[in-house]
Amino acid sequence: MTRYLLRRLAFALITLWVVVTVAFFLARAVPGGPFDGQRRLPPAVEANLRAAYHLDEPLLGQYVRYLGMLSRGDLGPSFRQKDFSVNELIAQGLPISLAVGGSALALALSLGVVGGTFAALARNRPRDRLLVVVATLGLAFPPIIVGPVLVLVFAVLLGWLPAGGYDSAKHYVLPVAALSLPYAAAFTRLARGSVAEVLARPHVRTARAKGLAPWRLVVRHVLPSALVPVISFAGPAAAALLAGSMVIEEVFSLPGLGRYFVQGALNRDYTLVTGAVVVYAALVLACNLLADLCHMRLEPRLRRG
Amino acid sequence: MLFEFPRPAACRPAGARQILAALAAALALAAPGAELRIGNGGEPLTLDPHRYNLNLEEKLLADLFEGLTALDADGRVVPGAAESWNVAEDGLVWTFRLRRNGRWSDGAPVTAADFVYSFRRLLDPRTAASLAHFLYAIDGAAAVNGGKAPPANLGVRAVDARTLEIRLAKPFPFLAERLVYPTGYPVPKHVVEKLGDAWTKPGSMVSNGAFTLADWQPQGFVRLAKNPRFHAAQTVRLQAVRYYPTADRNAAYSRYRNGELDIIGDFPPGELDWLRRELPDHVRLSPLLSIMYLVFNVARPPFDDPRVRRALALALDRQLITSRVLESGEVPSPSFVPPLVAGYQSAVRPEGPDRDIARSLLAEAGYDAENSLRVTLRYIAGADSKKVQVAIAALWKSIGVETILHHAEMNAHFAELRQGNFEVAQAGWFGENNPEQYLELLMSTTGEVNYGRFADAQVDALMARAKETAQLDARLALLQQAEVQALALNPVVPLYSVTIRSLVRPDIDGWRANPRNIHPARYLGLSGD
Amino acid sequence: MAEALLGSALARICCGVLAAVALSAVFGPWFSPWEFDAIDWDAIDAAPSAAHWFGTDGVGRDLLVRTLSGARVSIVIAVSATAVSCLIGIPWGAVAGYLGGHADQAMMRVVDGLYALPFILLVILLVALFGRNIFLLFIALGAVSWLDLARIVRGQTLAAKNEAYVDAARALGVGTIGIVLRHIVPNVRGPALVYATLTVPGVIIAESFISFLGLGVQEPQTSWGVLIADGSREMHSSPWQLIFPACLLAATLFAFNVLGDRLRDALDAGR
Repeated sequence: MTRYLLRRLAFALITLWVVVTVAFFLARAVPGGPFDGQRRLPPAVEANLRAAYHLDEPLLGQYVRYLGMLSRGDLGPSFRQKDFSVNELIAQGLPISLAVGGSALALALSLGVVGGTFAALARNRPRDRLLVVVATLGLAFPPIIVGPVLVLVFAVLLGWLPAGGYDSAKHYVLPVAALSLPYAAAFTRLARGSVAEVLARPHVRTARAKGLAPWRLVVRHVLPSALVPVISFAGPAAAALLAGSMVIEEVFSLPGLGRYFVQGALNRDYTLVTGAVVVYAALVLACNLLADLCHMRLEPRLRRG
Repeated sequence: MLFEFPRPAACRPAGARQILAALAAALALAAPGAELRIGNGGEPLTLDPHRYNLNLEEKLLADLFEGLTALDADGRVVPGAAESWNVAEDGLVWTFRLRRNGRWSDGAPVTAADFVYSFRRLLDPRTAASLAHFLYAIDGAAAVNGGKAPPANLGVRAVDARTLEIRLAKPFPFLAERLVYPTGYPVPKHVVEKLGDAWTKPGSMVSNGAFTLADWQPQGFVRLAKNPRFHAAQTVRLQAVRYYPTADRNAAYSRYRNGELDIIGDFPPGELDWLRRELPDHVRLSPLLSIMYLVFNVARPPFDDPRVRRALALALDRQLITSRVLESGEVPSPSFVPPLVAGYQSAVRPEGPDRDIARSLLAEAGYDAENSLRVTLRYIAGADSKKVQVAIAALWKSIGVETILHHAEMNAHFAELRQGNFEVAQAGWFGENNPEQYLELLMSTTGEVNYGRFADAQVDALMARAKETAQLDARLALLQQAEVQALALNPVVPLYSVTIRSLVRPDIDGWRANPRNIHPARYLGLSGD
Repeated sequence: MAEALLGSALARICCGVLAAVALSAVFGPWFSPWEFDAIDWDAIDAAPSAAHWFGTDGVGRDLLVRTLSGARVSIVIAVSATAVSCLIGIPWGAVAGYLGGHADQAMMRVVDGLYALPFILLVILLVALFGRNIFLLFIALGAVSWLDLARIVRGQTLAAKNEAYVDAARALGVGTIGIVLRHIVPNVRGPALVYATLTVPGVIIAESFISFLGLGVQEPQTSWGVLIADGSREMHSSPWQLIFPACLLAATLFAFNVLGDRLRDALDAGR
């Protein structure tokens, strides 16, 4: 098991390195630089700037320097946000993204498991059909539609919740709701399928026939195995959630990692973009590792592997 | 997994107590006390006045610092850190007298030596100030900034602790106006030298303006607190101001409507009708000292042909664009110097729209239905500019010209323009009350900011003569001639001056619409304070 | 397959929706009195009316024809990106499955690794840095959506190549290419088609996200993502600018998902 874990970890690190390398060279392959503006800087000024950010060194040297810094956890200075280092910016943005993305994932997962189990227990009865249609509908409403509509209804028309910002917990209600909807739908469909599959297994059918209370049956006999595919999906779902969370941060003007990433890309802030990619990739890889771990705990057969 | 991080319980279903708490918080926000919440259109990239680049940084810096001169609530130039100044007969030597009670926020006096240090710092190439050219009027500035002379060679001298002498290379009657920008602000030598680049952090920054930097959460907000050592502190009514980086005007508007912001500097123009009807005392529209224009790359055929340029210019209907597409009271401008520039009367005669002449000019240049003209129009990403360029493309279509639109972010856009990688492009100049600043863009010696590489010997000669002239009226007359001469050749198509659409809570006073769109927090307050 | 697509009322409705969207996207703009980039100067930002059934946008362009031409762009991007994903995914899966052994393991390891990647970051980076280019967009999107296809195709290939008649063919001296073409491809075709269909809604969503972030196609071209982004900016005063494209996008996604489920079920049942 330890060997398996170590292998996965090594694999994750290699993946991370590939992503960092691609992002690093992609950012620097673009025509135009981070110091472009309406006027060109006097050559003496530009030379000073380039030297300050080590842009005057050969590209490979810059890359080696960057990897060295990265191994010390230093993401370098921001090219455009001159008063901040990338570490400071990410330290500011990451908690917000984690709060929104994490809550949305948790909400989606719990809604999905509850809804899916409920539907599977009532398989092919009207409420199951209804839930399936609702879940399929949920998939059809990506955050770019739900986000603006929620703002219009709950913030502007009703005035119940704030339209943007991140000052208190209630600022997170609308973004989390908008972001989690399609994932809740996806988890519901997944959980419904896997719970139904487990319900059909002989030992569960026996237990059911013996008259075990439905909720006990579910908690004790069904969920432990039915959760396996659901948990495994949480890893890739975290990756998929990223794009949605960028949109959501835009809609609700949340200063999260996604904003830094998009702004950094548009403004050619090389270090900020690469830094955001590193953190995002590390997060997603960590999610996948954790999903693997949960998977192993739930699926004892794997422990030997 | 992500959700295992202990974070605010945002997703927990709200119990009655939480709803009550939320309501209480909402009520607390609704009563702002003496702290205003202002939407500032974006995140400041720096609060170092010498390294600043953006208009939105200018607003924060104007609250934090005070230059020799300053802008008041109406956008007029008034004494700042200097209580008075005089100009020598030849227009070359300006002497500023500093206030007796000028203090840094740490209590140290603001001295002429601070200003000398600051001007040298701005122009020192090691500072890498992107707007250092603002003060190239000072003798030796360009050489210092180009690394060809030591900063000590700059024509700035402390006569005594309260007297500062600035020597110019050529007469420049607009210097008092130019010094209101952050590039002319003093920075505290004693702090900058000790802390280096970290001097702009909250807790470290020492400033001489009406406010000090209390907190800065990047992408969150910048909080300024009243500076009790400011020389006019007794007139400052606000205890604090929070500037929010509301880059998205729709989000800003939603937050204003929801009572989360007290002032916003932009809102979706489609809302104007509703707002005028429902919240008329919140709406403030003010034309900005600015010119939006199209620029032709005259180095690239067919735009080297004046007939083609004139045809494209004649097809455009400024009135239609400002009244139907933009709708916020933008001022159409046939002249390149915005009509709002006080003291300057443009002599450019408005012409067109006239599609018939436009078509016949195109035909003369060899373009007709079989061989239609194809134009690539570059513009800056953004909702308003998109609307205008789409309208322009439609108007050109009506004279048989096919337009390909291409948009890019601001910096990428101007980088292409500076390198001459365009045919026709949107450009804008947000300037000062100084006609020269706009007309300089059409001088052949201007270099890259003359994006279209327009060159006309007569225009150059008139501009050069104007720049040698110390006497203001004579100088303005020469500028007038230069403008007429240049625009007759249509190197650019001036379109309009931008309008700033603000929403200001009606119980706030001291907020005056002005063509500089400057609203120093030191003049703001709540009515009844 | 036909049974799966037309077997229930819901499925028939969804087929109808997709057919209607596709047909109106292809032919609708020809019948419209308005061109997608023409301005009605007398109806700028106008609510739906007899002249403009969906209203007009902030510059006075007919929203019906823009929504339809946006549908064209979105569908073209989705279909082309899916084609790109087939071009990568099918050979990858087939080769891995056919070769087996270490090569198979290594190739599927790559797929696993890519699954864990926030791929969309690189797509956004690419589009933000190298400009808004429709070709770039669908190649990038295609290059990130081939993983499912590769897995499915590999599974099918593995199953097919162990069939007795493949061994027989091999024994008769049929070359690798011949075996792949004659025996593997027919087995893989059906499932690959189903999973390609399932890829389409994902690509549509990805395109709309990228457009929403301001990185989509250039004006006067439009797509659903661009229309929704613009509409959400004007939704306070001109809700129709958001509602129509949003409804069309949601209906299309819904129909794709329902039919995708049906197809997948039919496929599973058939195995």
